[in-house]
Amino acid sequence: MNPASLIPTADTLAAHWGWFQFLLMLTFPLHLFAMNAMLGTALTSFLCYLRPDRSCHDLSHELAKALPFLVAFTVNLGVAPLLFVNVLYGHLLYSSTVLMGLFWLAVIPILITAYYLAYFYDFRFKKLGNSGMYAVLVVLLLLMTVGFIFSNNMTMMITPASWVRWFSTPGGTLLNLADPTLIARYLHMMTGSLAVGGLFVAIYSSTVLKHNIAVAETGRKMGMQLFTWLTALQVLVGTWFLLTLPVEVMKRFMGNDKLDTGLLAAGILLAVGTLIAGYQRKVVAATWLTVPLVYVMSFMRDSVRNGYLTPYFDVTKVPSSVQWSPLIFFFVTLVLGIVVIVWMLSRLKYIKKAS
Amino acid sequence: MNYPIWYVPTFGGGLLIALVAIVHVFVSHFAVGGGLYLVMAERKALHEQNSSILDFVKKHTKFFLLLTMVFGGLTGVAIWFVISLIHPAATSLLIHTFVFGWAAEWVFFLVEIVALFIYFYTFGRMDDRTHQTIGWIYFGAAWMSLFLINGIIDFMLTPGSWLTNHDFWSGFFNPTFWPSLFFRSFMSFMLAGCYGFLTATFLDDEQARHKMIRYSGRWALVSLVLSVPAGWWYISALPDKARSLVGGASPTIARAATVAAFSLAALAAVVITMILLNPKKARTRVLTVIVMIAAMGYMGAFEWTREAARRPYVINEVMYSNGILQKDVERINQEGFLKNAKWVQNKEVTQVNQLEAGRELFLHQCFACHTVGGFNNDIVVRTKNMSYGAMQKYLATIHEKRYFMPPFVGNEAEMKALAAYLTAGLNKKPLTDDAATAGDRGKKLFEDNCAACHGVEVLKPEVADWSKEKIRTALDKLPTLNPAMPDYNAPAADKDAIAGYLHSLNNPGTAKEPGATLFEDNCAPCHGFDVLRPKVSSWSKTKIRTALDKLSALNPAMPDYTGSATEKDALADYMVKQAGGEK
Ligand code: HEC
Ligand code: HEC
Repeated sequence: MNPASLIPTADTLAAHWGWFQFLLMLTFPLHLFAMNAMLGTALTSFLCYLRPDRSCHDLSHELAKALPFLVAFTVNLGVAPLLFVNVLYGHLLYSSTVLMGLFWLAVIPILITAYYLAYFYDFRFKKLGNSGMYAVLVVLLLLMTVGFIFSNNMTMMITPASWVRWFSTPGGTLLNLADPTLIARYLHMMTGSLAVGGLFVAIYSSTVLKHNIAVAETGRKMGMQLFTWLTALQVLVGTWFLLTLPVEVMKRFMGNDKLDTGLLAAGILLAVGTLIAGYQRKVVAATWLTVPLVYVMSFMRDSVRNGYLTPYFDVTKVPSSVQWSPLIFFFVTLVLGIVVIVWMLSRLKYIKKAS
Repeated sequence: MNYPIWYVPTFGGGLLIALVAIVHVFVSHFAVGGGLYLVMAERKALHEQNSSILDFVKKHTKFFLLLTMVFGGLTGVAIWFVISLIHPAATSLLIHTFVFGWAAEWVFFLVEIVALFIYFYTFGRMDDRTHQTIGWIYFGAAWMSLFLINGIIDFMLTPGSWLTNHDFWSGFFNPTFWPSLFFRSFMSFMLAGCYGFLTATFLDDEQARHKMIRYSGRWALVSLVLSVPAGWWYISALPDKARSLVGGASPTIARAATVAAFSLAALAAVVITMILLNPKKARTRVLTVIVMIAAMGYMGAFEWTREAARRPYVINEVMYSNGILQKDVERINQEGFLKNAKWVQNKEVTQVNQLEAGRELFLHQCFACHTVGGFNNDIVVRTKNMSYGAMQKYLATIHEKRYFMPPFVGNEAEMKALAAYLTAGLNKKPLTDDAATAGDRGKKLFEDNCAACHGVEVLKPEVADWSKEKIRTALDKLPTLNPAMPDYNAPAADKDAIAGYLHSLNNPGTAKEPGATLFEDNCAPCHGFDVLRPKVSSWSKTKIRTALDKLSALNPAMPDYTGSATEKDALADYMVKQAGGEK
C-alpha cells in the first residue's frame, strides 16, 4: 500500500499559511522556555537533596515553590503552538494521534498527577523531609514521559510510511519506536531542555532569590554547572541526532539548502558561545546566547519536518479562504492581554512583605 | 473516511468524550461563576470589615487554584485531545474555521492564570482596591473564555447562516449563541453559589456562617431562577429536527433528560428556599449536599440533551458523526464509498472480499456510535433479529426512518457488503438474497446443515403427518431420532425456519407467510416478536390491526408503519398467529 494514499485531505486555511507559520514559530520557543525551566527546576531541586548543606536545602525549597507556576505556564504556552500545528499539520497529526491513541490520552492523567504532586511537594515541603526527594523525582520522570510521548507523535506524524501498521493494530497502541531517529531526537531534546533549565535556575537564583546571598550563590553555581556540562554533552548527542536523520534531510544542513546550512552554522556558533559563557559562569552572556539558540533550533526542527514531508505534503499549497477580521480580533486581544498582564505584574512591586 | 479510526471493538469513544466533557463542563463553569463569587464575597468582607469572611474567601481561592487551574485547565486540554482522537475530521473543521477564536481564548486563559496566581499569592498583602481589580480581571478573563467557547460549541448545534456564507462571525454568533451564553452564565453563578453554600456550613464563627449561608443561598437561588427561562429560550431556539429529538422522538432518553433537568432545578430551588427561611437548617449538611448534587444534575442533564439534539451530526447539517460531510453524500453514492475513503484496504467490493469490505464500511460509518460486543449500543445485539434481505432494506432508508442515524453512504454493492458483514459476519446468518421469507431461509439452512446426509425427498414422506411443533421439538434432540445424527446447535430462530420449511413440504401454502417478511423488514430491527408477545397476546385482532395504523401512539419511539392496507392486514394476521391465535 502506498502510504501517501493514507494522508487525509487538509482543510482550507482561514488566512495565508505564513501567518500560522509565523505564530507557530513565535509561540513554540516560548513553550520550550517554560518547559525547560520546569524540567531544570525539578532536576535541580532533586539534585539538592544529594548535597547536605543548608543553602542547598533552602534552594530546593525555593525551587519547589516555583515548580507549580512553571507547570501551569508550560501547559498554557503549549496550547498556542499546538493550536497552530493543528492548523498547519492537523491532518497528519490526527492520523498519528489515532495510531497512538492510548498513549496520547495517557498524557492527561500523567500531567494531572505530576501537577498535583508538584503542588503537594510545594505545600508539604517541610513535612516531607528527605522523602520530598522522591516526590520531585517522580514529577520529573512523569514530565519527561510526557515529552517522550510527544516525541513519538511528532515523529510519527511526519512518517506516513509507518502508518500502514494501523491496519493490523488499530487499537491506538502503536508508538514510533522503530524510527531510528526517535531516541536520538528525544535525548537531544531532553539534554537541551535540562541544560537550558539549569540556566533558568541560575537566572532565577541570581534575580528573584538574590535577597538570600547563600542560596542565590548555590543556585547560580549549580544551574551554571548543569548548563555547561549538559551543553557539552549536547555536542555529542546533537551530532548523533544529525547523523541518524535520513540522508536527504541531513544534506539540507550540509550544503544542499543554503538557509538550513546557515541555520546549522549559526547554531554551532551559538552553542560554542554558550559553552564558553558557561565555563566562565557568565549568566547574562549565556542567556543572551541561549535565547537565539533556542529559536535557531526551533527553525531547524521545522526544516527537518519539511524535509521529511517533501514527498508527501507542501504546506504552501494548502488552499486558503481569507477573512481578516478574526485575525485582527485575535491580535487586538493578544495586545490587550499582554498589556493587562504587564499591568498586573507591575502591581507586584507594591505588595507588603510577607505577613 | 479521511482519517483512521481508533478501534477497540467493545469500547466506543462516545462514552469517553461524554465522561471528559461532563467533568470539564462542571469545572470550567465553576471557574467562571467562582471568579465572580470570590470578588463579590471579598467585597462584602471588606465592606463589613469582617475578617472571618475574608478568611473564608481566601480558603476558597486556594481551592480554586487547585481545582480550576490544574484540573480545569488540563481537562480542557483533555477534551481537545479526546475529540481529535475520536472526531478528527470534525476537530479539524472546527479548528480551521475558528482558529482565531481559539487563539483569543488562549490569551484569556493566560490572563486568567496570571490573575489567579496574583490574586491568591497576594491575598492580604496588596492594597484592597488593586486586589479587587485583579479579582475582577480574573473573572472577566474566565467569562471571556466562556464567551468564546460558547460560540464554537453552539456552532456545532446550530451553524445558522454560516452554512451559506461561511463567515466566521455568522458561525460564531449563531442562533443559539445568546440563549446559551445567558444560560451558561447563570449556570456558572449557580454552581459557585451552591458550592459557597456548602462550604459556608463549615464556618466556625456563627454569625459569619449565617451571613455566608444567606449570601450564597440567595446567590444560588437567583441564578437558578434566572437560568430556567434562559434554558427554555435555548430549547426554543433549536431547529425543529433537533427539538423533536429533545422532545423524545428518539429512543434515547432525551425527553427524560429534559424533564429531569427541570425537576432537579425545582428541587434545588425548593431546598435552597427552605434553608434561606431558616439558615440554622444548613447546619444539616445533607441539605446543602442535596442542593449541590441537584444543581449538578440539572446542568448535566442539560448538556446531555444538547449532545443528543445534535445527532446524527457532529456539526449540524454539515458533518455526520462518522466524519462524512453531508454535501459529499450524493457524490459518494455515485462513485462508491471505498474508492473515496483513505483508510481502507478494499477499494472495491468483490465476491471474495465482501465481508472484509463490509467490515471496513462498518468501521467508517457505524462504529462512531455502535460497539461490537460492548455494553454500549452493541451492533451485534441490535442486528440479531435481521436477515440479510431485511438488513439491505433497512440500510436503504436508515436515516429517513431513524433520523438520529446518518444515511448509509455508498453504492449498491457496498450496501450489500455492509449488510453481509452485519448479518453473516457478526450474526452468522445465511447470505441468501430473499432469505427474508421464512420458508426460503429454512430451505437454505436445510441445505447447509442437513442435505449433506439426506436430501428432502428422503425426509418428505418421513415427516408427512408430523405437526410443525413436532418437527421443531425433534430438531432439539436429533440424536434421539437416530444416533447417527449429530446435535443441531443453532439459534432457535434457525430451527424455527427449518421446521417451517420441512412442514411446508407436505403442507404447501403455509410456509410463505407475507406477514412474517413484513414483520422482519419493518419491526424486527427494533424488537423481535418475543418482546411483543406478552403485550399483544391479550389483544384482539381488530385491536392489533387498528394499532398498526398509528404505532407512534403506542410508543413515541416507534415510527408509524407506512405499509398499504393489505400489508397491514397481512401483518396483523401474522401477529395474531404468532401471539397464539384469534381471540
Ligand atoms: C449517530 C450515531 C449512530 C450512527 C453513526 C449509527 N447508529 Fe445505529 N443506532 C444509533 C442509536 C442511538 C440507536 C438506537 C438506540 C436505541 O434504540 O436506544 C441505533 C440503533 C440501530 C439499530 C437497531 C434498530 C433501530 O433502528 O433502532 C441498528 C440495526 C443500527 N443502529 C444499525 C446501524 C448501522 C448499520 C449503522 C451504520 C451504517 C449505524 N447504525 C450507524 C446511533 C447510530
Ligand atoms: C424504531 C424502532 C421500532 C420499530 C421500527 C417498531 N417498533 Fe414497535 N416498539 C418500539 C419500542 C421502543 C417499543 C417499546 C418496547 C418496550 O416497551 O419494551 C415498541 C413497542 C411495540 C408494541 C407494544 C406496545 C405497548 O403497548 O407496549 C407493539 C405492539 C409494537 N411495538 C409493534 C410494532 C410493529 C407491528 C412494528 C412494525 C410495523 C413496530 N412495532 C416497529 C420500537 C419500534
